Amino acid sequence: MVEKINELLNMFNERLAGLTSSKEVEEIRVEFMGKKGKVTDLMSGLKEVPNEQKREMGMKLNELKNTITAKLDEKKQEIQNEETTREINSMPEIDYSRPVIAKKGSLHPRTIIQKQVEDIFVSMGFIIEDGNEVETEYNNFDAVNVPATHPARDAQDTFWLENGQVLKTQTSAAQNRILRTYGPKCKVLFPGRCFRNEDLDASHENTFFQIEGVVVDENVSVSNLIYFMKEMLKGIFKKDLNVRLRPGFFPFTEPSFELDATCPFCGGRGCSTCKGSGWLELCPCGMIHPNVLSEAGVDPDKYNGFAFGLGFDRLVMIRTGLSDIRYLNSGNIKVLEQFGVRM
Amino acid sequence: MKISINWIKEWVDLDGISPEEIIKRFNLTTAEIEGVEYRGSDVSNVVVGKIIDLADIENSKNHLLKVDVGSEVLQIVCGAPNARVGLIVCVAKVGANVHGFKITEAQRNGITSYGMCCGADELGIGSDTTGIIELPLEYESKLGTDIKELFPIDDVVFEIDNKSLTNRPDLWGHYGMARELACMFDRELKPIKTVDLSAFEGLPSINIQNQSDGCYRYSCLTAENIQVKKSPIPMAIKLNYCGMRDINLLADITNYVMLEVGQPMHAFDNEKVKEIVVADSKEGDTILTLEGETHEIPAGSILIEDGNRVPVAIAGVKGGMLSGITDETTSVLFESATFDSARIRKASRSIGLITDASQRYEKSLDPEMTSLALARIIEILKNIDKGVAVTSCFSDNYKYHYDTKTITITPEFISSRVGVAVPAETIISTLVKLGFTVNNNGKEIVITVPSWRATKDISMKEDIVEEVARVYGYDNIEPKPFAFPSIPASQMPSHTNEYAAKYLLSTKYNMNELHSYIWSYADFNKEYSIDTKSYLHLLDSSHSGNSGIRSELIPTLLKFMEENKNSYPEIGIYEIGRVVTGLNEENLANEEKHLGIVLASTSKSQEELFFELKGIVLDIAKNVVGVDADLAKCENFPSYIHPRGVGELKTREGSYGYMGLLHPTVNKKLDKRFNVAVAEINFGKLADARVFSVKAKQVSKFQNVILDFTFMVPDSMKYADVMNILGKCRSKILRGYSYVTEFKNDEMGDSRALTIAAELASFDHTLSSEEIETFRTDVIAHMLKNKINLKA
Repeated sequence: MVEKINELLNMFNERLAGLTSSKEVEEIRVEFMGKKGKVTDLMSGLKEVPNEQKREMGMKLNELKNTITAKLDEKKQEIQNEETTREINSMPEIDYSRPVIAKKGSLHPRTIIQKQVEDIFVSMGFIIEDGNEVETEYNNFDAVNVPATHPARDAQDTFWLENGQVLKTQTSAAQNRILRTYGPKCKVLFPGRCFRNEDLDASHENTFFQIEGVVVDENVSVSNLIYFMKEMLKGIFKKDLNVRLRPGFFPFTEPSFELDATCPFCGGRGCSTCKGSGWLELCPCGMIHPNVLSEAGVDPDKYNGFAFGLGFDRLVMIRTGLSDIRYLNSGNIKVLEQFGVRM
Repeated sequence: MKISINWIKEWVDLDGISPEEIIKRFNLTTAEIEGVEYRGSDVSNVVVGKIIDLADIENSKNHLLKVDVGSEVLQIVCGAPNARVGLIVCVAKVGANVHGFKITEAQRNGITSYGMCCGADELGIGSDTTGIIELPLEYESKLGTDIKELFPIDDVVFEIDNKSLTNRPDLWGHYGMARELACMFDRELKPIKTVDLSAFEGLPSINIQNQSDGCYRYSCLTAENIQVKKSPIPMAIKLNYCGMRDINLLADITNYVMLEVGQPMHAFDNEKVKEIVVADSKEGDTILTLEGETHEIPAGSILIEDGNRVPVAIAGVKGGMLSGITDETTSVLFESATFDSARIRKASRSIGLITDASQRYEKSLDPEMTSLALARIIEILKNIDKGVAVTSCFSDNYKYHYDTKTITITPEFISSRVGVAVPAETIISTLVKLGFTVNNNGKEIVITVPSWRATKDISMKEDIVEEVARVYGYDNIEPKPFAFPSIPASQMPSHTNEYAAKYLLSTKYNMNELHSYIWSYADFNKEYSIDTKSYLHLLDSSHSGNSGIRSELIPTLLKFMEENKNSYPEIGIYEIGRVVTGLNEENLANEEKHLGIVLASTSKSQEELFFELKGIVLDIAKNVVGVDADLAKCENFPSYIHPRGVGELKTREGSYGYMGLLHPTVNKKLDKRFNVAVAEINFGKLADARVFSVKAKQVSKFQNVILDFTFMVPDSMKYADVMNILGKCRSKILRGYSYVTEFKNDEMGDSRALTIAAELASFDHTLSSEEIETFRTDVIAHMLKNKINLKA
């Protein structure tokens, strides 16, 4: 019996060594351990073993069963490992550097930057308003104190329409309606598309965007305006910029200012963006003219405030690095898609 | 406009103030200085000399000169036609710098030349290019003296943007600038020297007939026996440094006084013009101007005519040739007048002549200046030419006086508007320096505006605030925060939804947002058979053929598609923009904010594109705006849309636009490789539509079952029709239907196989197979009743 056990074990070891697949392992398992397998066969021979040896033989046979089962499991694991390694190695390594070809959508750079600017104003409690592009002469000029003989009303500067309306020449055209809507105490931002009868070149457009804001309250001062502008520009450029006010002249405001900021690109040392001056002209502004207030039904003796207008396309050009303003309205996907959806 | 600091210094002592300081202060107080020229810095070692010998050089126009420069006699080869013995000249010696280049010993005509006799243009101090400068004989005593010691050649010239001085007519002359700088740096302003016009009171007056309302004041004066022809060198230098040319004394002197006091002047030859008529022009009037060009004068301009009613000048713009001064003129009529700024601007623009005079008149000049300018011109003329005699009294037609403006203000008002406490003394001294008359009664300050600021610039308290604040210095005002009421601002849905829609289109659907123009492109639309209307046109139709305002976005987006189609096989573009869809009862534009989408593909079928776009449009309506919308039968769509591939975006409340495939005619013209689907949505209206809030639906905890039915449906029957029928077969366990697919082959005739999935579930138990089978047979039986068979 012992010999048979050893013989079988040797035979098993021999067969095991030659196995290469899990399938073969399972075949051998059946051959040795199955119901009609070789070990079972041997077990049935136990009844012929003398009684005094039965216990010892029984133990040996159990040992044989355990050994074979353990070795089969071990072999199986080994082969599975090999198979996994083979499977891994059979796949070519993925070139993670290969680009993904996907059509990427894009927002117009104006949209991206306008949203950023608006978010700053919303956080300051501003209402964001809209305005028509076709405006009445009254809203565009009379209501905002542009004299009847002002050159801006000339056909050389303004697109007049057959019905006597105009394509709005500045966002201020919405001021009267906004002041009437929101009353004497308000903070409103109104971005909009404006039109001027200009010949197009790299820095001149007949169709351009402005972002205008008004703040009306009691006892608003020039020093409030300076404070506000400084904080607002800090928000837009995410930098503490030096600002300076220079006298300006606009019919809508009195006094009027040109607001310059230290050029955010060179920090004031002078560069091509600021044409060497160290300053960027960013934002005409001023204290709202009393005539504009009273025309909108706001008592200028009680209330006052300021208005400002960001030359928005200029800001977009600065931020995007686009050197030609005409790209903005060009519909040229190649140019415009490169900005994606965030900047 | 160019401003010479030397000139300013005639009235204000600017010692100790650097040009950089002036620039900085001026920028912050008055207007931006755009450029600085350090004139004369490129001229050195040029001295006074005298030609003492002149010899011809064979086969050359050049002469060999011997020039005495005091310490030595130089041999110079010179080509100037006016070189002659005895002439006092400006000599650039070897080593000298002349307007950008260095003088060296040079071989000319085989002779060594030790220097150069200079022309005015070569030194940059005059306009004469015909020969060398002829210095007056009195300079013979100065041989060898550097000309910079004799003439104001070194100067700092500022260039100021004309536009930034639009509201300051008083700054269009050096004296006004001097007043501004005197105030800025707290220095004294010296009076400008003039003759006393009342001294001429006994002389005959000039007949002035002012028939035009556009002429506010016409003043003139005559003088005779003017013998000097050329302007003195310092005068020529100043004119040239300020961007003008020196021509002859009488022309120069009118320009000179204009640059000083800002009042344009004109000199008529008194032999030719003895009387003045100011009249409105009539249709067909023409004039030959000083430049020798004949201009048609538009009706409504103002003309200066002589006693015979012959036009002699376009008022405020340009003088006429025939009445103008010549080299022979010895008697002159000086004009100094004020006109309606708007009429001068209109005349100048429509004639196409923008002159130094018209630019000034456009700014609304002070009529009080006419007498000052005449008194000044006679003062200067008499200093240059002692023999000049004034032959008329100061003749004056002063038709329109501006009102004297007085403003009453308190220091408290000024301080509260500036945001800084400005002391009353500072306010008063500032205003006085600027020429205001100030009367302080302790409580209020009563201010009289000087005439040169009263034509349009200053009229109210806020203007005074500006004057005080800018001189006080905007950079000296401390920024101060102020309290805002803390009320959350509610934003307009049309605006917030616009961003949400754009982000959705650009991120989820990978589309490109484009911006276009408001024009309707008539030529493009015609070429591609796109029939679109413009309800409104520009008044000036010359605007590059695109004078119509668009009424829809799609034509422009198709133009963009056409322009980009060779770079991309798949295009998805959109714009949210304004269109004008008609005029209302008051004849005002009916403006709408639209969303236009164009999807174009070389690989997708028309059907695929249609449903892709339908998905996008409904995503915006349902998920961005939150309205319950779907496509419905569309009756009104543009003729460039395929009549069998179109749907209207509708909710129960209304209609918001359409989407559809492009009409084959337009599609083929654009590019037949592409299939194109478009949508035009009234975004403003959609964004303002009533939003339905989403309420949670109960979801069953028990396993659901999906049951597919494939029906044979007649082609005439739409999916919605099938669903209407199905909807009438009710069941407790039905949670909903969904579309799976549809399929058609030749054997099906006029029908198609439509697969619909039913989701079944109960809220309280797991469904039994009997329940499911009952539902199945019920549905099939219900459909059969409605003549719809299950597919075999």
